[in-house]
Amino acid sequence: MPLLGSFCLLFALALSAYCFVVGIVGAVRKDFVGYRMAETARRAGMATFAAVTLAAFALVWSAFANDFSVSYILHHSNRALPAPYKFAVLWSGQEGSLLFWSWLLACYGFVLRLRHKVDQRLVANTSMVLAGIQVFFLLLCNFVANPFGMEPGPMAADGNGLNPLLQYPEMVIHPPMLYLGYVGFSLPFAFALAALIMRYPGEKWIHITRRWTMVTWLFLSCGIALGAHWAYAVLGWGGYWGWDPVENASLLPWITGTAFLHSVMMQEKRGMMKMWNIWLIFTTFMLAILGTMLTRGGAVSSVHAFAQSAIGAWFYWFLGIVFVVCLVFFIINRDHLASENRLESLVSRESSFMFNNLVLLAATFAVLCGTLFPILSEAVRGYKITVGGPFFNKVVIPIGLFLIFLTAVGPLLAWGSTSWGSIKRNFAVPFLASVVLGGGLIAFGVRPFPDMAHFYTFLGALITLDYLIHFPDMTHFYAWLTFVLSTLVIVTIASEFIRGGMVLRGKLSTNLLAAIYHLTRRNMRRYGGYVVHFGMILFFIGVAGQAFNQEKEQEMGIGDKLQVGHYTLTLTADNHDDTPLYESWATILDVQKNGKPYTTLYPERRGYKASGGQPLTVVANHISLQEDLYVIYEGQNDGRPIIKAFINPLVVWVWIGVLVVVLGTGLALVPNAARVTVPVPAAATAMERQQGMQPAGVGK
Amino acid sequence: MGADTQAARFEKLGGKIMCTCSCAQMLLKCNHVGCPNSAQMIQQLHAQVNSQPDDEKVLQWFREQWGVTAVVEPATHGFELIAWLLPPVVAALCLGLLIFIVLTWRKRAIAAGPPDTHLDPHMEALRARARQETEI
Repeated sequence: MPLLGSFCLLFALALSAYCFVVGIVGAVRKDFVGYRMAETARRAGMATFAAVTLAAFALVWSAFANDFSVSYILHHSNRALPAPYKFAVLWSGQEGSLLFWSWLLACYGFVLRLRHKVDQRLVANTSMVLAGIQVFFLLLCNFVANPFGMEPGPMAADGNGLNPLLQYPEMVIHPPMLYLGYVGFSLPFAFALAALIMRYPGEKWIHITRRWTMVTWLFLSCGIALGAHWAYAVLGWGGYWGWDPVENASLLPWITGTAFLHSVMMQEKRGMMKMWNIWLIFTTFMLAILGTMLTRGGAVSSVHAFAQSAIGAWFYWFLGIVFVVCLVFFIINRDHLASENRLESLVSRESSFMFNNLVLLAATFAVLCGTLFPILSEAVRGYKITVGGPFFNKVVIPIGLFLIFLTAVGPLLAWGSTSWGSIKRNFAVPFLASVVLGGGLIAFGVRPFPDMAHFYTFLGALITLDYLIHFPDMTHFYAWLTFVLSTLVIVTIASEFIRGGMVLRGKLSTNLLAAIYHLTRRNMRRYGGYVVHFGMILFFIGVAGQAFNQEKEQEMGIGDKLQVGHYTLTLTADNHDDTPLYESWATILDVQKNGKPYTTLYPERRGYKASGGQPLTVVANHISLQEDLYVIYEGQNDGRPIIKAFINPLVVWVWIGVLVVVLGTGLALVPNAARVTVPVPAAATAMERQQGMQPAGVGK
Repeated sequence: MGADTQAARFEKLGGKIMCTCSCAQMLLKCNHVGCPNSAQMIQQLHAQVNSQPDDEKVLQWFREQWGVTAVVEPATHGFELIAWLLPPVVAALCLGLLIFIVLTWRKRAIAAGPPDTHLDPHMEALRARARQETEI
C-alpha cells in the first residue's frame, strides 16, 4: 500500500502539471486545437482526483493495517487506537494534512470540472489556476513532506499513537471542516483570477461563485467553532479562544471572506467595488496560505504548530508567486475593473457596506499585526516576543463592538442615500429598546464601571488618545456595551421581518407569521443574512458573558466541599481505572445550587499509555442557558484530587449562535420561492450570442 | 523606590508574564495547587523587581529564562509600541481615505450636475439578467 500511495502521488503530480501547462496553452490558443487541449487538461484534472484519492486511501489503509513500516503511521497511530481515530490519522500530522489538503483541492476541482458547462471558457481557465495550486501541494507531498516515507530497520511492534488531545469525537470533524474552508477559498480565488486574466464580462463569475463562497465560509465557520468547542471541552482551561497563532490563522481568511460576502453585493447591485472585491478574494486565499506557512513552517510559536521545518520556505515562494501573478494581471487588466457607479452619500447602504469592509479589514490587520509581530520583532530586535490574549483583547474588542453597531445600522439604510426622516423613523424603536436595556442592566447591577474613578480614568484615556496603551480594565464596560448594541441589532432585525411581514400580510390576506415565512421564502439571501446576523449577535452575547466568570481551585478529600458562586461541590468518591489505551483518575462530585441538590459531575484525568502517559482532561460541564458549571480534575497532591471549578456565564449562547449562523447560511443558500421576472433587453441577448456566453445556471 | 511602587511594578509585570505550566493563565492568576512553575516564577519576579529598575529588562530576563512565550504583551514603549499603534493608525488612515474618496465623488457629482443615468446598457442588461437568475 505505501508503494501504491507513493506512485499515486507522483502520478497525480504529473497529471496536475499536465492540466496546468496544457491549460495555459489551451487558454492562449483560442482556436479549435486550443479547445481540445483545454478539454484534455480538464480530464487530466479529473484524473488527478482519482490518483490523490487512491493515495489518501493508501495512507488510511496503512493506518488500519497497523503498517508501522510507514514512518507517518508509526508516529501518529497505534494498535489500540479506535477505528474513527484511524481516519483522523490522515490529518493529524504535517505530511498527512498536506495530503488531505491536496485531496480536498482535488475534490473541489473534480466538482468544478464536472460542471464545466456552466461556462466552458471560464471553467477551463479556473481549472488551470486550480491545477497550479494543486501542483504546489503535490510537490510538497512528493518531495518535502512525503506521508509514505519508510522507517529504517525492522517494523516496530506498535506505534506512538495519536496525540491524546486529538482523541475526541469533535477532532474527527474539526480539521476536515477547517480544511474544507481553507481549501474552498481556492475556488473563488481561481474564478476571480481566471475572470481577471480573460477580462470576463460582467459579474457572472461572482454569481457562479456566490454559493461556493458561502459554503466555504460556512465550512470555515464550523471548523473554527468546532475547534473552539474542542478547546473548551478538552483543554480544560475554562475558555475556548486563546488567540493562539493557529487560531488567528484560521480567523484571518474568515474575516476577509466575510468582508467579501458583503462587498460582492455592491458589485452585483451597483457595479461598484470591483477592484476591491478582486483583491479581497486574492487576500483571503493568500491569508489561508500565509496561515499554513506560519504554522507548518514553525515561524511562530503555537500549541498547534508543527516543528520548525524546511517547508516554510516553500510556502514563502508560493505566496510570493501568487502575489506577483495577481498583481501583474491586475495591473494589465485593471481598466476592466472600473466602477460603474459612485457613492452618493455617506449615509447609505453602499457606505455602510464600505464601512463594514473597512472595520473587517481593520480587524484583519490588527490580528495579522499581532500574529506577525513576533517575526518582525525577531528581525529587528533579535528576539521573538509573544503577543497574547491581552493585546488582542484590547485591540480587537473595540473593533468588534463597532462592527456590531454597523450590523444594526446597515440594513436600515437605503441604497443611494437615506433621508433624515427615514433614519428617525427606522431607528427610534431599536434605539429606545437599547437605551432601556442599558439602563435596566445598570439598575440590576451590571455596571459598565465599578466606580466613578474608573469612569474618569476612562474619559482621561479617551481625551489624551491613550486609549490602547495605558487603559484601565474595561471588561465590564465592553460586556455592558455588547448587550446594549446587541439589543439594537436584534430589534433592528425583528423590525425588518415585522415591517416586511405586515406589508405582505395585507397582500396575501394571511397572519403575520405566515406573511414573514412568505417574505423569507421570496428573498432567502436577504433574510437568511439577517438570521446569520442574529446568530453572530447571540455569539457576541455569549462572549460578553466572560466578563463575569468566576473560578475556584481546591485540594479535596472524600466529603470535602468546594464553594464557587452559588454552587457547593461535595466530593463523594475518588476512582482509578486502567484500560489498554489509558489510565484514568476520576471523582464523583455532588453539586448543590443555593443549598438545593442540583446535579452530579464526573471530572476525569487520563494518562495515555502509547504517548508516554500524556495527560488529557475530561471536563465535567453542566450546561444551562444562564451559565456553565465547568469542573476539571486538575491533578493530585499526596494522593488527594485537586478540583478546579469555573462558573462561565452565557457560554452556551456562543454555541447556539454558531448553530443559528449555520441555519441562516443554509437559508441564504436556498433558492427563492418566487422569482421576479426582469425583461432582458434585446441588445444584451444579441451581444451574448456574439460572445458565445451561456446563461448562468446551465449545468447546475 | 518605595514599597508601593515596587508592589505596583510587581502587579503590572505579573500581568504581562504567563505561567509556563501550560495552564494558559497569567502568572499572578495561576493558582494551581502544586503548580510546578508559578511559585518559582513569582519568587523570581519579586527578586527581579527588587534588583532591576528597568521593566523591559525584567521581561527580557523572563524571556531568556522561560522562553519567549512567557511574556505575552508587547511593551508600550520603544520598538514594541509599534504593535499597539499600527492597528489604530492604519484603521484611521483607511477611514480618512474612505471619507476623502466619498467627498471627492460627491463634489464631482455636484459639479457634473444631475447624476449620469446613461450607464453602459450592455452591462446593465447583463446585470439585470444576473439579478433575475440569482434571485436577488
